Amino acid sequence: MHEIIRLVNRNLTISLNMGFVIWQIIFPLIYIFVAGFAYTALIHQVPFGNKTLDYPAFIATGMIGFNIMNSTLISGIIIWNDRRHGMFEQILVGPFTRAQYILSNVYTIGIIGLVSAAMITAVGYPLFFKQVEFNALTIPLVVFASISGSILFGSIASIISTRLKSSEGFNVVINTVFLFFAFVSTAFYPAQGAPPILSTAFYFNPLTYLVDIVRAGIFGYFNGLVATEMVILGVGAVVLFLVATKLLSKLEL
Amino acid sequence: MYCIEVKSLSKSYGDFVAVDGIDLKVEQGKIFGFLGPNGAGKTTTMKMLTTLIPPNGGEMNILGIDGIKSPLEIRKKIGVVLQQPSYEPTLSVEKSLEKYGMMWNVEKKIRKDRVEELLFAFDLADIRKKKNDDLSIGQRRRVQVAREFMHDMELLFLDEPTVGLDPSARRGLLDYVKGKVKDGLTIFFTTHILEEAEYLCDDIAIINRGKIIAVDTPGELKNKFGREKTIKIHISEQKEISSLLSCIPDCTIEYDSGVVITVRSSQSEQVLQDILKILASNHIPVEDLSVVPTSLEEIFLSVVKNSNA
Ligand SMILES: Nc1ncnc2c1ncn2[C@@H]1O[C@H](COP(=O)(O)OP(=O)(O)OP(=O)(O)O)[C@@H](O)[C@H]1O
Ligand SMILES: [Mg+2]
Repeated sequence: MHEIIRLVNRNLTISLNMGFVIWQIIFPLIYIFVAGFAYTALIHQVPFGNKTLDYPAFIATGMIGFNIMNSTLISGIIIWNDRRHGMFEQILVGPFTRAQYILSNVYTIGIIGLVSAAMITAVGYPLFFKQVEFNALTIPLVVFASISGSILFGSIASIISTRLKSSEGFNVVINTVFLFFAFVSTAFYPAQGAPPILSTAFYFNPLTYLVDIVRAGIFGYFNGLVATEMVILGVGAVVLFLVATKLLSKLEL
Repeated sequence: MYCIEVKSLSKSYGDFVAVDGIDLKVEQGKIFGFLGPNGAGKTTTMKMLTTLIPPNGGEMNILGIDGIKSPLEIRKKIGVVLQQPSYEPTLSVEKSLEKYGMMWNVEKKIRKDRVEELLFAFDLADIRKKKNDDLSIGQRRRVQVAREFMHDMELLFLDEPTVGLDPSARRGLLDYVKGKVKDGLTIFFTTHILEEAEYLCDDIAIINRGKIIAVDTPGELKNKFGREKTIKIHISEQKEISSLLSCIPDCTIEYDSGVVITVRSSQSEQVLQDILKILASNHIPVEDLSVVPTSLEEIFLSVVKNSNA
């Protein structure tokens, strides 16, 4: 078996416990069904491209992006825990290189991100199946969004985990950052109708791009804005990944 | 053949020189003890030898491989138990051994057998299902050391492996290591516990302030530095006797708490006679008396003290 596969195997074993899986499924479900239906009273319909979506369909697709982002926290947590519990040094004094360690984290996030996306798509499907418009772009768009989104958010979590010293600090920072990403985005409510400051802020947030691309894939609506968003998300993922790699490879032992 | 061959190896952190141009040679199939006080540079040396950190200068050859040019090739052939604890908090004891073997690409069947063997050898069978997070410090250390034997290696680095272990676990570990050496393994071992070094090591180097100040077999070190013996005399009541004994030549005398006199001398017989005479003529009764050969510990203390002076 290749070194990276062995490390990915190990990463998945240590991170996939019952608690995490439940959190990854139950939490979005609560949002989709409880919030989805409760907020329908406030937000009836959301204009999207050339059609209008029911709010439950809107939030269910938003949760796909939200879930990808959440699952990539794992990457930060793996690095953080490896440093805190001495496994980072132990792995690097074993038959592995730093590059392999970093790549194995990327693959781990990629896998968890894709699986999360697939899971929420399956769970949320009953809510948006009436409005889906699958076409040739659907799968490429969703897969692109999942992978570049997971690398981008995984890199952010990794960067945070290499910069901080105390575990209280790590939890506070990572929760604050991800809470901001979650709620200042188009995952839960559309940019149209939000106050101008907020809707501008939405577009300083990579989760917005991720969610917009997923929706474009699922509801069959592709335009210049979505293409631009893809470029921004892709470039952002590459840049942040390079920064994370640089920081990780400079980490003192 | 030498498993480790090092010439003027150095490491600095900023202006501070942690390891200052050391030379080392470790023979294949031997247990090499690396001793030194806190902050002497033991761990730093070990981190360089295991290619975890790059040296600032010098040459090192590990298992015939250039340590600067091919660190990965070396890491594939060595085992390392670092001083710093390391564990997978969410995994059970047996699972963490199993996964560690997997990371080293050990075949599944062999892995299974080794897990059983190690759980037994390191007295972990009762806690095999416990999560590492829930273990005591000593239990965790045992898992960490046991884990390293999941894979094959030619050379094993142990940085104070017995810290936190109870006496029976410690002895069990040392004997397990000895057994592995019989099968051809070479060991580089650091410790503060001198009896451990004496029990285990074929050769010993003492490092202080980044420099090696003595290298030899435990026996030779004792011969060289330890011809002197230690005499302990308990007198029955507290008396001011330092002025009485100050005339005795060829010895150093310490007065602990006024009733215990500790004398070190290489002419111990003569010195003992002189002291007893003086005590008798001053009517000071002796309660208890012992003469012991100087331990490795005392050699260690005196060698380090001399090098600090
Ligand atoms: N990353 C670092 N930055 C600066 N100084 C360091 C660093 N690591 C070690 N040192 C210094 O180098 C010296 C040697 O440290 P080292 O850890 O090798 O000691 P040691 O012999 O293993 O001690 P101990 O018995 O306490 O484990 C110490 O003075 C220490 O403060
Ligand atoms: Mg040390």
